Amino acid sequence: MSKKHTSLISELRGKLKTCDSSHELSNIKSYYLGKNGILADEFIKLKSVKLSEKKELGMSLNILKNEMQDLISQKLNLLSSENDKDIKATDVTLPGKNISLGSRHPIAITINDIMDILGSYGFTSVEGLEIEDEFHNFEALNISDNHPARDMHDTFYVSDNKLLRTHTSSVQIRSMMVAEPPLKIMTPGKVYRCDSDPTHSPMFHQIEGLHIDENINFGHLKGTLIHFIKEFFGKEMQIRFRPSYFPFTEPSAEIDIKFKGKWLEVLGCGMVHPNVLSNVNIDNKKYTGFAFGLGVERLTMLRHSITDLRMFYDNDISFLSQFKDLK
Amino acid sequence: MKISLNWLKEYIPNIKKNNIFVNELTALGLEVSSAKRIKKDTIIDIDMTPNRADCLSIIGIARDVSPLYNKIVKYPECVKLNQSKTNNLSNINKSICPAYSALVIMGIDNKIKTPTYIRTRLDACGISCINFIVDVLNYVMLEVGQPMHAFDKDKFDGKVCVRYAKKNEKINALDGEEYSLSTETPVITDNKSVQAIAGIIGSTQSSVNLKTKNIIIESAFFTPSIIRKTAKSYRLQTDASYRFERGVDPEINKYAIARVLSIIKNHMSINKYYFNNIKIKKIANHVGKTVKIHPSEFSQLLGTDIQLKFIIKTLKYLGFKPKMNKSFIQTTVPSHRFDINISHDLVEEVARIYGYDNFKPILKVDSISYKSSKLNKINSYSNILTSRGYNETISFSFLPKGSQKKYSESNIIEIMNPISSDKSEMRLTLIHSLLRTCQYNHSRQHYNVKLFEYGKTYKKSSKSKIIEQNILAGLISGINSELNIKSEQKDLTFFDLKGDLISLFPNLSFKPSIDSSYLDKSCQANIYQDKNIIGYCGEPKKEIYNLFDLKNKVFCFEIMTDKLNNEESIKYSNISIFPKIKRDLTVLIDDKILGQDIIDAIERKSFNYMINSKISDIFYNEAEFGPSMKSMSFEFIFQDKKGTLTDNTINSEMDKIFSFIKQSFKAKIRT
Repeated sequence: MSKKHTSLISELRGKLKTCDSSHELSNIKSYYLGKNGILADEFIKLKSVKLSEKKELGMSLNILKNEMQDLISQKLNLLSSENDKDIKATDVTLPGKNISLGSRHPIAITINDIMDILGSYGFTSVEGLEIEDEFHNFEALNISDNHPARDMHDTFYVSDNKLLRTHTSSVQIRSMMVAEPPLKIMTPGKVYRCDSDPTHSPMFHQIEGLHIDENINFGHLKGTLIHFIKEFFGKEMQIRFRPSYFPFTEPSAEIDIKFKGKWLEVLGCGMVHPNVLSNVNIDNKKYTGFAFGLGVERLTMLRHSITDLRMFYDNDISFLSQFKDLK
Repeated sequence: MKISLNWLKEYIPNIKKNNIFVNELTALGLEVSSAKRIKKDTIIDIDMTPNRADCLSIIGIARDVSPLYNKIVKYPECVKLNQSKTNNLSNINKSICPAYSALVIMGIDNKIKTPTYIRTRLDACGISCINFIVDVLNYVMLEVGQPMHAFDKDKFDGKVCVRYAKKNEKINALDGEEYSLSTETPVITDNKSVQAIAGIIGSTQSSVNLKTKNIIIESAFFTPSIIRKTAKSYRLQTDASYRFERGVDPEINKYAIARVLSIIKNHMSINKYYFNNIKIKKIANHVGKTVKIHPSEFSQLLGTDIQLKFIIKTLKYLGFKPKMNKSFIQTTVPSHRFDINISHDLVEEVARIYGYDNFKPILKVDSISYKSSKLNKINSYSNILTSRGYNETISFSFLPKGSQKKYSESNIIEIMNPISSDKSEMRLTLIHSLLRTCQYNHSRQHYNVKLFEYGKTYKKSSKSKIIEQNILAGLISGINSELNIKSEQKDLTFFDLKGDLISLFPNLSFKPSIDSSYLDKSCQANIYQDKNIIGYCGEPKKEIYNLFDLKNKVFCFEIMTDKLNNEESIKYSNISIFPKIKRDLTVLIDDKILGQDIIDAIERKSFNYMINSKISDIFYNEAEFGPSMKSMSFEFIFQDKKGTLTDNTINSEMDKIFSFIKQSFKAKIRT
């Protein structure tokens, strides 16, 4: 490299040493390497040099060019890595924005879960009226006015004949009156009884299931409910079927689950009473069926270890938000 | 009903260990709620279902258990009673009382102490001891199930009569209350006055005490429905009425009275007694009835084969008299079984004894689609709302008396027999429920509240028809998120609520309204989907804020979900690959002109290449624009499907847009 070229390098080195911003660096870069920069000048000069010197000078110029480019890009790297130090690291532990996730009501979650399980067995969901008449709530279900069985249903009346349904079984009647068997339905909804204490609420939720077809028997009732309970609780539970009494089923049964050493009643069921079938004009010689009624609150309390029924209707956000991770 | 295990063992001596026996009872349908060891006995409390009146006695329970232990239960031997010539009965109303037995006993000594075995057993079964005669009657009631009553003959004027009470008749009953009787009240009278409400409670006037010498014992069968109606109307439940209304064995009253006499005779000498008995032929519907069943019906209904031998044996133990008639089993219904009417009832009897746990479970899975699309929709709305921070609530369908009066006309449905005055009328709106819940949570220091509820409202139509409507309602109050850092927390506004609604349903539009009785006129909108009104939203009136003591701003909505348009067939349209161009326009415009109206008009007019238009800013400056004007900025996006748009093309469209707004809305360009 020629002397002049060596001194240009040391000049550049000196400038780079004091340069401390990328702006300054780009000035330096264009001063030496730009269109009209020092290096370009030198190449122009090369054209007027004698042929004998041209080769040597050309080589020296190329070395100069490479060296300058290297020095400037080194400085550029240095500056940009110094710049990185100015960018503050994100505190990833700060709160995310607008993340107050809400929650489904535990009763709604239970209803959905129950319907998902029963749905997978082929039950179709049907809804009905909450304000019913005596016929659909009682008479068609074989519950006569003068029978003590009426005492099992403390009824709210809104007029002489209209009442708040005491069970979702009234929907059974409406469904059977309009559809021909086979019929396999589930009916979720609110029901009402004139009763209020820590274990009874004047309003609560039931899901009723009904399956009417030829050759349906008690074994089908048992199979459906044993599988249902196992799936709902996610494990094998100790359960027992025991005879009970409902005017609209015969034979009738109740299912108890052993929970923390105690038998707890979770649902009532039975083979649909032939009178109920004939009340809705279904041939009770040809068809049989089973029905069951689940208490949603009871199952929800068992599942989440809730001890006070009133929590469900107080809707305290401290209570509700505990279920935010359930969908 | 409480029973003594020792007493039961007199009929079934080989009863298994307590815990096994308790499970056996439950498996029979006699659900044991508790079993306690007391002294050398075990007291078992059974929750009796209303159909099993036959098990409201020791013998009844023994009979039900008997098939498990292969032991026929027999009633204890006792004296034989013959009809006396002296008649102590006058008129007996046969519809009230199809069978009446009266035993007059002269010269008893009621001062003697009740024998220990009777006292311990009454005590064990929860019945208090009164005096010898009353205790014996109660003892026999527990033993065989027949309630009886004793009158002091010396305070009973003349013969026994059973009839309906006359107007203005009264009774001073043994519970210390005075009851006014109606012409529908069945009573037992002497010649002068009412001595008992039939089958329910006696009068103090003729009651038996320690000094009583001569007695009339009544053992009758009262028609269950009449007793039930009467007991219900007086809200009186006694050991007697409880049994009579469920149905006491109509064939047993004579036996029971003889059993009483036998016990009395064991403890004193009785020389003079008179027995009178009246009974109609068809005493109760089920007596003498026969039921027929084909043996195959058992397996058809139960899904498991049961041997004929087992069926016959079981029915016999339970008191049936089954016989084979051709290929059918035919049996009379025993007089103690009111609940057996049809072949299904026999299936249950046999199934109970066979054991419900012994039937094979079968799961039948049918492939039918299940959840209604309506419920699926509600679930998806609910899940969107929860992901936007809402908590789902469930409130009572009833509200306090009078709480809705101010906000509606006469269409409230009231409950005739409310459980309390704060749950006495059906709700007309879910907003009221949500406001109550909001208030409750505010009082518990939850000031940031986002709630929704899906449920029904109830009202009477003009023709008194009942209308139930499905409603999805929501309420917000407080800041956007408690979890945000402070500089990012903002008060929730009407537009937060509106944003939530738009994310729920497609094609919504909001128009100012003044219809709602809960919402303030200054911030209230009807919500339309396409052209149908589907609900409303806004901010509550001042008086509502005061009523619910709400300190923070609240916004709420109600959507009638049955009115939602559920058709969602989406068709793909071609995507343009050419660049989009964004242009802004700011105008001064009368403050009364609604933003959406301008956007709607622009979209209806449909300018070339415009693919989107929106309001991007609103700005007020009274000093500069005057009080009735506002500055409104729009943002328009243009794009062509066939090529890149030039500035000239867009400029000419923008000119058209401005002159359109200027003409239609008297807008001025803001300089």
